[in-house]
Amino acid sequence: MKTYRKGRALLSAAACVAAVGLVLTGCTNTGTTSSASTGSATDAAQTAAAVSGPTCSLADYKGDKIDLTQAIVGFSQSEKEDNPFRIAETQSITDEAAKIGVKKFIKTNAQSTLSKQISDINDLISQGAQVLIVAPLNSDGLEPALKAARDKNIPVITIDRKLNATACSDYVSFLGSNFVQQGQRAADQLIAGTKGTAKVAVLLGSSGNGVTTDRTSGFVDEIKAKGPGITIVAQQTGDFARDKGQSVTEQLLQSNPDITAIYAENDEMGLGAQAAIIAAGKTPGKDIQIYSIDGTKNAVSQIVTGAYNGVIESNPRFGPLAFATLKSFLAGDAVGQDIVIQDSQYDSSNAAAKVDSAF
Amino acid sequence: MTQATVSVSVPTRGSVLGLFQKYGVYIAIVLLLAYNLFFTPNFFAVDNFRTQFVQVVPVLIVALGMALVIGTEGIDLSVGAVMALAAAVIPLYVGYGLVPTLLIAILVGAVIGAVNGSMVAFIGVQPIVATLSVMVAGRGLALLVANEQLKSVTDPGVLSLGRDSVLGVPISVIIAAVLVGGVAILVNRTTFGKQLIAIGGSRRAAELSGLPVKRILLLVYVLCAALAAVAGVIGTARLGASVPSTLGNLIELSAITAVVVGGTPLSGGQVKVLGTLAGALLLQFISATLIKHNVPDAYSQIAQAIIILLAVYIQRGKARVK
Repeated sequence: MKTYRKGRALLSAAACVAAVGLVLTGCTNTGTTSSASTGSATDAAQTAAAVSGPTCSLADYKGDKIDLTQAIVGFSQSEKEDNPFRIAETQSITDEAAKIGVKKFIKTNAQSTLSKQISDINDLISQGAQVLIVAPLNSDGLEPALKAARDKNIPVITIDRKLNATACSDYVSFLGSNFVQQGQRAADQLIAGTKGTAKVAVLLGSSGNGVTTDRTSGFVDEIKAKGPGITIVAQQTGDFARDKGQSVTEQLLQSNPDITAIYAENDEMGLGAQAAIIAAGKTPGKDIQIYSIDGTKNAVSQIVTGAYNGVIESNPRFGPLAFATLKSFLAGDAVGQDIVIQDSQYDSSNAAAKVDSAF
Repeated sequence: MTQATVSVSVPTRGSVLGLFQKYGVYIAIVLLLAYNLFFTPNFFAVDNFRTQFVQVVPVLIVALGMALVIGTEGIDLSVGAVMALAAAVIPLYVGYGLVPTLLIAILVGAVIGAVNGSMVAFIGVQPIVATLSVMVAGRGLALLVANEQLKSVTDPGVLSLGRDSVLGVPISVIIAAVLVGGVAILVNRTTFGKQLIAIGGSRRAAELSGLPVKRILLLVYVLCAALAAVAGVIGTARLGASVPSTLGNLIELSAITAVVVGGTPLSGGQVKVLGTLAGALLLQFISATLIKHNVPDAYSQIAQAIIILLAVYIQRGKARVK
């Protein structure tokens, strides 16, 4: 009897931890999704990108030549449009489709559900889409939809999140930001803004997220290489969320009162850090400088007021680049398999002029 | 008549285990503070303790309501969603001033609590199932109300809840202290408190002895959700923004942990209000310690899990006595 009770207690304890684990995993995934929601506004002028690395042409992919203005174009958006990045991304694709004057443009939104994105893509195909632009919800799991497109030789351009699949075979090309480079550029901004001397606290994105890993390694390596006078005193996760960024910064400022700069891996955490700095009785932008990645209007407008120092954009405006790529591909030209979208950057010199183009 | 079911006074054995069962959470806090005294720079500073108390407020207020629900052998998973809903309605009513905004947020919370309570009390849905469905639907509703947008809150009245102090004590901390006192009185000094504990001890016995079980259960869930709404308003005030997509995410876990670590058994029949306060503070100090020592987040999560394990293990002894 006693042994039985003991066993049951242990079991329930294990269940408790398992439950915690489950919930935490779920959380990480959510973080991943919103993480890609970092981004911003380059001057939308980036068109045909210089081709470097492996390329793909219509002959390689085995498709038919189509005049884009005579084509039915389908766009499958991944996440709910409850963040500025997604809104700007869909808007950009829609605007460019209208500008080019395609025969018909159909868009769907998977509402952050993978199974819905698969059926969305199948729907687009059955509605006669001859070209697809897909913002994948996940790096894996879209295989059935991709296969349906492949079977009909429909070219698929993927944007913002890279698939674990073969370019020029399962899909044509991937268009996206270089997250490592974003971290490097934030480091460059910070080194310049602090004149090479600073104690920095890093607010990381969600753990186990590729965007977090890239933005961290880009930043840390650049600081090591070019900022000998800069010390990174803490690296703590803020889960890409404003409240976590705020509370973590409050803790760090107390234990390390000599912190002089914050690097946040998205704007929301940077804005949380700003609130924490104010609460600590210091002046954000002066006593403690803030740099982040995203390019949301909320953060860029803070640079204008002087209470924020720098923002590297993660560009959501894929429209012009995506359609330019499609146009040359459908004309038979070779296009890059991995095309990096240009991200602009904001600091005190240009924020006032460019704040309206922030998303 | 109710008295008999109320005080499940465990005869304390002189053993160390008995001591830990009774005072474990307080001992843990003392040990942790001692560690920080020696090893964490600037920990023993007034500003630091102010930060810790300000940060613990939302979890603490939610945990107070959770303790009441758990006292009835229930659980409320919808508290985070209620916080999000409270946050979502603030920008809509903030023009009317602080008090009406606060009242409307609490009212919205109370309505959600009434939904939870009705399902549990009148339809007989298991608390975990009832509140799980409300947790999912509630956050969806919050996003709908907010049109899925983050909105800045600039009303000085609302912001004062998160930023201003009276005689050096932050207003949010004063509110939390008043609520701790209020709930402690409710549990220990009122008939209602004794009745809710009686229900947690044995719902059947409470029914047989003629207690208005359904009405009490309904009220307990309403109270829990109203408290969560207050936490939602304070959380929003602190951020200076209404963020219904993330506010209160996973807070139900922290609140349940605080309650259980504080000595309230999940099997109901007891509510430890001071223990809940101590449990919430312990979680706060643990997370602060780990952040200040730059320990990666993964370890912080594992530490929480270990605390839950320990709490459940220690309570196993208690349950046996009961």
